[in-house]
Amino acid sequence: MRARREQQSVDIRTHADGDRTRLAPEGSFDLSHAASVAQVLDGAFTGLEPARPIDVDLTRVERIDGAGAVLLARLFDRLDASGHRTRVLEASNPGAAQLIALYRARHVDPSAPAPPGASALARIGAAAGQLPRTVTDALDFTGGCAVAATKTVASPGSVDWRSLPGLFQSIGADGLIVTGAANLLVGVIIGLLGISQLARFGAVSHVPELVVIAQFRELGPLVTAIVVAGRSGAGLASELATMKVSEEIDALRAMGFDPLRWLVVPRCVALVVAVPLLTWVGDALSLLGGFLAAMAITDIPARAYVLATGDAIGGGNLLAGLVKTPFLALAIGLIACGQGLAAQGGAAAVGVRTTGAVVLAILGVIVTNALFTLFFTLLGI
Amino acid sequence: MPAGRPHIIVDDLRIGWGSRVLIEHVSFQIERGTTLAILGGSGSGKSTLLRYLIGLERPLAGRIDIDGVGAPHVYEGAPPFGVLFQSGALFSSLTLAQNLALPLTKWTSIRGPAVRELCQAKLELVGLGAFADHLPGEISGGMKKRAGIARAMMLEPDLLFFDEPSAGLDPITAVELDQLIITLSRDLGITVVIVTHELPSIFLVANTCIVLDKFAKGIVARGNPNDLRDTSDIPFVHNFFTRSSPGRAREPA
Repeated sequence: MRARREQQSVDIRTHADGDRTRLAPEGSFDLSHAASVAQVLDGAFTGLEPARPIDVDLTRVERIDGAGAVLLARLFDRLDASGHRTRVLEASNPGAAQLIALYRARHVDPSAPAPPGASALARIGAAAGQLPRTVTDALDFTGGCAVAATKTVASPGSVDWRSLPGLFQSIGADGLIVTGAANLLVGVIIGLLGISQLARFGAVSHVPELVVIAQFRELGPLVTAIVVAGRSGAGLASELATMKVSEEIDALRAMGFDPLRWLVVPRCVALVVAVPLLTWVGDALSLLGGFLAAMAITDIPARAYVLATGDAIGGGNLLAGLVKTPFLALAIGLIACGQGLAAQGGAAAVGVRTTGAVVLAILGVIVTNALFTLFFTLLGI
Repeated sequence: MPAGRPHIIVDDLRIGWGSRVLIEHVSFQIERGTTLAILGGSGSGKSTLLRYLIGLERPLAGRIDIDGVGAPHVYEGAPPFGVLFQSGALFSSLTLAQNLALPLTKWTSIRGPAVRELCQAKLELVGLGAFADHLPGEISGGMKKRAGIARAMMLEPDLLFFDEPSAGLDPITAVELDQLIITLSRDLGITVVIVTHELPSIFLVANTCIVLDKFAKGIVARGNPNDLRDTSDIPFVHNFFTRSSPGRAREPA
């Protein structure tokens, strides 16, 4: 009996052979005919008497590869599951029989339970369950850094001070152009915004004061820290994460080094020194930006603008901005280094931790800045 | 140090994370100047056990005693051992000589040209005398491992740990590394603990071994590797040493 003939290259013939059924695939069971094979196999059940033993004759299989063997293997699995007892006649085509047997032997039940965390709900649950551990790890790391800083004072030799010049170069000097450009443009933006808004009240002469206060108190430290968090935070996190996954951190510990003192302390020191310097330069460039904006679209005399700017730069404005920059820098350093040292696994962990470091560092900078602003407001500074 | 006392005593060790126990009831001793291989299949916990032996992790229970003083907390002094990690774990931004100088400058008062001389001598011992000023990225995998051994020996330890030293190496380089380990153990009297599943290495370098099994969650056999291969009637151990598969009569090509 002929089961199906839809494709010229592939077919499956079945006929009764005593108390057994003989099933004979014909044609090319390979990847290039996989669609036809699948279609033919879907109809292979048609006409088969239930629970009747089946002999598979592979004599007329002209060509078979892994794809064809998998499809035939799954057909035989389904036949066995439905009560037929299939027997592949190896002598009919030993190569094809061996290939099919390989895929049948390696087959596992795909209905096995999915690994934990496979569903979205499970992932949310796992993340929630992980939250307390994440918080305690963060607190543990912060506490460890505090201890490391104390021990550094007692034992300065336990810190890799030789790395400081390189860190100053990469965080400070190399970042100067980016932070400077960002602050210059922020100055231009504040200037333009101030001119457009204050002009409505005839108060354009207060634009220099607005630029100074906005930049010195808030935007200078904030913009500089955010740029440093994105640039250097990512660099520090990826560097430490790479060291972690390549066992360099373990090697340090095995040699008796404290990674927090050896690696984290110099990076935080470099940030705490470099970020205020970058902020100062950024503040100066921002004033220049505001000046250029005013000169471009107002008739304020340059000398009057400069004198008004000088008057606005009071100790309070300068202090309120510069006091918080080391803390913003410290937040970047701790978050970036903490994320880097928390990496586990392979290269993917480096990417995950680097992304996490940038996002958390920017968030940390904004939160820290907000706390300082609240504190200064309450104190009337 | 007391003669005759085992170099390392591990007593009823249980390791894992939280409620998840990886291996437990692990007890063994390592005699001074001998080479012990920690064996087992993938996921059996042999590299993890090494991390506990060198103090990177704290066990859930049990005791690790090195030189009779207990496992030292890694930050409280110079570690009494050297470690070669699987990847070599050299610091990529430092030259080989600078890598080797790190433990020396950390734990000794040696400074100046003497540091360089000592680093050079150790590099020559492992056949890398001409590469002192190379960065790790400029040398091969086998050379990185040899440099890692040189760094592990900088503080003249009498105990060395190796985590899969032959992994990822061609057979000739792997044998050269094995010979180096044998030389260190025999000529310098160094106790060696080696984590591996490379059979040629095991038979070449190890005096004794312990076999971990992830299903048994602990040690399933211990003794001389040749004896275990010839006499063990434990299926996993027999399969391990004879490279046979438990589930199939014949492995497909």
